[in-house]
Amino acid sequence: AMAGGLEPHLEALRRELRVQDPALLSVLLALLAIAVTFLIWRLVQGRRSSRRAVLLLGLCDAGKTLLFARLLTGRYRDTQTSITDSSAVYRASKDKSANVTLIDLPGHESLRLQFLERFKAAARAIVFVVDSVAFQREVKDVAEFLYQVLVDSTVLKNAPALLIACNKQDVTMAKSAKLIQQQLEKELNTLRVTRSAAPTSLDSPGTGGPAQLGKKGKDFDFSQLPMKVEFVECSARGSKGEEGDADFEGLEKWLAKIA
Amino acid sequence: ERGGNNSFTHEALTLKYKLDNQFELVFVVGFQKILTLTYVDKLIDDVHKEFRDKYRNEFQQKGTLGLLNGTFDFRDDFMRLLREAEESSKVRAPTVMKTFEQSLKSQKTVKCMIETRGEKPKEKVKNKKNKGPKKEGAEAAPAAGKASTGDKQPAAAGEKEELTKDEILQKNREEFFKRHMKAGEKSRSPKPEAQKEKGKKPRVWDLGNSNAKVLDYSNSATNGSAETAPVEEFDPDLALGDRNREPGRLYDLEYESDEEAEEEKVIQNPSKPSTKKGGLGGMFGMLKGLVGSKSLTREDMDPVLEKMKDHLIAKNVAAEIAVQLCESVAKKLEGKVMGTFTTVTSTVKQALQEALVQILQPQRRVDVLRDVMDAQRHRRPYVVTFCGVNGVGKSTNLAKISFWLIENGFSVLIAACDTFRAGAVEQLRTHTRRLNALHPPESHGGRTMVQLYEKGYGKDAAGIAMEAISYARNQGFDVVLVDTAGRMQDNAPLMTALAKLIAVNAPDLVLFVGEALVGNEAVDQLVKFNKALADHSMAQTPRLIDGIVLTKFDTIDDKVGAAISMTYITSKPIVFVGTGQTYCDLRSLNAKAVVAALMKA
Repeated sequence: AMAGGLEPHLEALRRELRVQDPALLSVLLALLAIAVTFLIWRLVQGRRSSRRAVLLLGLCDAGKTLLFARLLTGRYRDTQTSITDSSAVYRASKDKSANVTLIDLPGHESLRLQFLERFKAAARAIVFVVDSVAFQREVKDVAEFLYQVLVDSTVLKNAPALLIACNKQDVTMAKSAKLIQQQLEKELNTLRVTRSAAPTSLDSPGTGGPAQLGKKGKDFDFSQLPMKVEFVECSARGSKGEEGDADFEGLEKWLAKIA
Repeated sequence: ERGGNNSFTHEALTLKYKLDNQFELVFVVGFQKILTLTYVDKLIDDVHKEFRDKYRNEFQQKGTLGLLNGTFDFRDDFMRLLREAEESSKVRAPTVMKTFEQSLKSQKTVKCMIETRGEKPKEKVKNKKNKGPKKEGAEAAPAAGKASTGDKQPAAAGEKEELTKDEILQKNREEFFKRHMKAGEKSRSPKPEAQKEKGKKPRVWDLGNSNAKVLDYSNSATNGSAETAPVEEFDPDLALGDRNREPGRLYDLEYESDEEAEEEKVIQNPSKPSTKKGGLGGMFGMLKGLVGSKSLTREDMDPVLEKMKDHLIAKNVAAEIAVQLCESVAKKLEGKVMGTFTTVTSTVKQALQEALVQILQPQRRVDVLRDVMDAQRHRRPYVVTFCGVNGVGKSTNLAKISFWLIENGFSVLIAACDTFRAGAVEQLRTHTRRLNALHPPESHGGRTMVQLYEKGYGKDAAGIAMEAISYARNQGFDVVLVDTAGRMQDNAPLMTALAKLIAVNAPDLVLFVGEALVGNEAVDQLVKFNKALADHSMAQTPRLIDGIVLTKFDTIDDKVGAAISMTYITSKPIVFVGTGQTYCDLRSLNAKAVVAALMKA
């Protein structure tokens, strides 16, 4: 009965369509095709811009490229200062099909902001690699770069998880993660005052200026940030030298959590 | 961004590099600077080709993981290529020097080489030009002929032949002259010099001895009378020429257009078919370039780069810097594979934009407030020195910066080390008074925020600066701003004085003040300033310019090329930008906005 009921309706529809002007029909079909294409394109766009990347940032000689190589292949390689980005898919843990794209960005002052611009939209998580041995000397530069990453509007909007990896722990003079955290908090506290007091830049939208980091009035604390921040100690070279494995279980666990 | 030149020297080593943009590889070869190896370029090209062919698969298929995991056992190949290159450079036999018997000198008699001085005053060889009169040329030829054999000619002062043998010798000389013309040019110059030294004879003008009286017509009573002027024969036909002209009419210029027009047409015709062919091929080429992967060649990029270079120069970037920038972009893009739907123009523009942004964000940012806080903690004043050429706005911007510092709660001492310009000290005094009126001591806990340290005019600037700094330390000022006199970069004594001021007082920040209106001069100014500072400093690491203040930015709308020129030359950041004459017109540089203004058509 249902099929019988449907048939006359279909017949009526077909007759209707045939009565209509064929030009109109072709126009409708064309519009339909365009709409479908548009939908497909949006889907592809969405997939491309979905945030599946983990960025490795840090100053020059922090150990990002070696960490990158160790995570992907497990072997030690001699590295040079990077002048361009490298990316590869990393299998975070064995059971899930949890893949993230690890992207290693160069740390050189004249390149780092450019590459950050390019990849920040795709970042699901950021690993900020710090050289624990040279930290005392470089604390201002580390803090400055970290500040630039944190006040970036895209980063604030997406709030990717942040891990500060205190690298080079195999050396005896390395500072602990706790100390690094304290120093960074102090330095960022000062920086946000001086940076917001800097002369406004040309063509900037008059009011506002750089975003305020953390809460006003209180001393800066990493817990005031909109994203999750963790500190972890690791060593890309590994305590047994070049032949042995790297110690970065903390890093691996965190990556598995993220993926 | 400096990829234009492909070699780099550091201490005793020289590095040469080559970029492979298709696979993103860099080949670097290093060798000792003192050895001049001729086969280096060839070696690097060979290594590049071999490496690329051998490992092509790894690059193309496996990507990053392939690079990380692959073993690139290239050692044997490299040693072989190195050996081949070394051998190829030894193939050419060194040129053997001519023996004495083969030279021309041995064929001359001793007599003709004797130099007889004091004769021939007429041979006043007056210049070193090649096109001297034939006689002089002929004279020089034997000297030239002798010089070409490679001996240092003691008798280069020239030949003094006796007049009696003129004819025969002239002929010989002409022969020599024709044969050894080229070799003789260089040795010509010592010869005329030597001749000139021997007794300068005064020049005798033909009419010079006549009295001035004769030439003086002013007092003659015959001025205007018809008697003195001799009567000339006047032929009206000769004067008027054309008999058929209408009196009073001005004729048009006639030209024979026919033949010339024919020539033009003939020339155009052969060019037209070629353009037609080119046009068709060009269209296909464009389509081919749009879709699919095409690798960029130098010829593709050249027209685009030319246009970009002219565009940059029109935007007030210094000419040599625009050229170097385009070179480096070309090197970076050569051989790169373009993606689909990207034209050559867009790729080049993109690369140029990235290079420009990179230039404007050099090294670490100079954060003045942060450094002042540091100095505060150590209980010493933070010293900033302003230097630059005349009239760029040092004093004005110094006042702006001190206003900014006061707003942030730091007390400022202004040291008036411009002891030359009239009114410099008064200008700074007026600024100090105004700033104190804007920020009275009551609102800052009773201490005066700005004070002027001056010692009048004519004193030594470096001494005043030193006294100012110790005064600031005693009185607890946070910042000392030292204003110096404007000076041209070519003025050596003034540059020495500036270098002395900076070397002796060791300021924390040396700011070069430059105006945004400057064009190619910026390069010269900065290079010479830096050189002067480096030359006159006694320390191992001389204090150079640490930052740039770009002033008068409001006078240029989008011709912002001076920013690029200055940062390219020094690799130091632009710390402040001055955009007007009031205290609030102080900005920091926004690299993206500047590059956008530069690239805007």
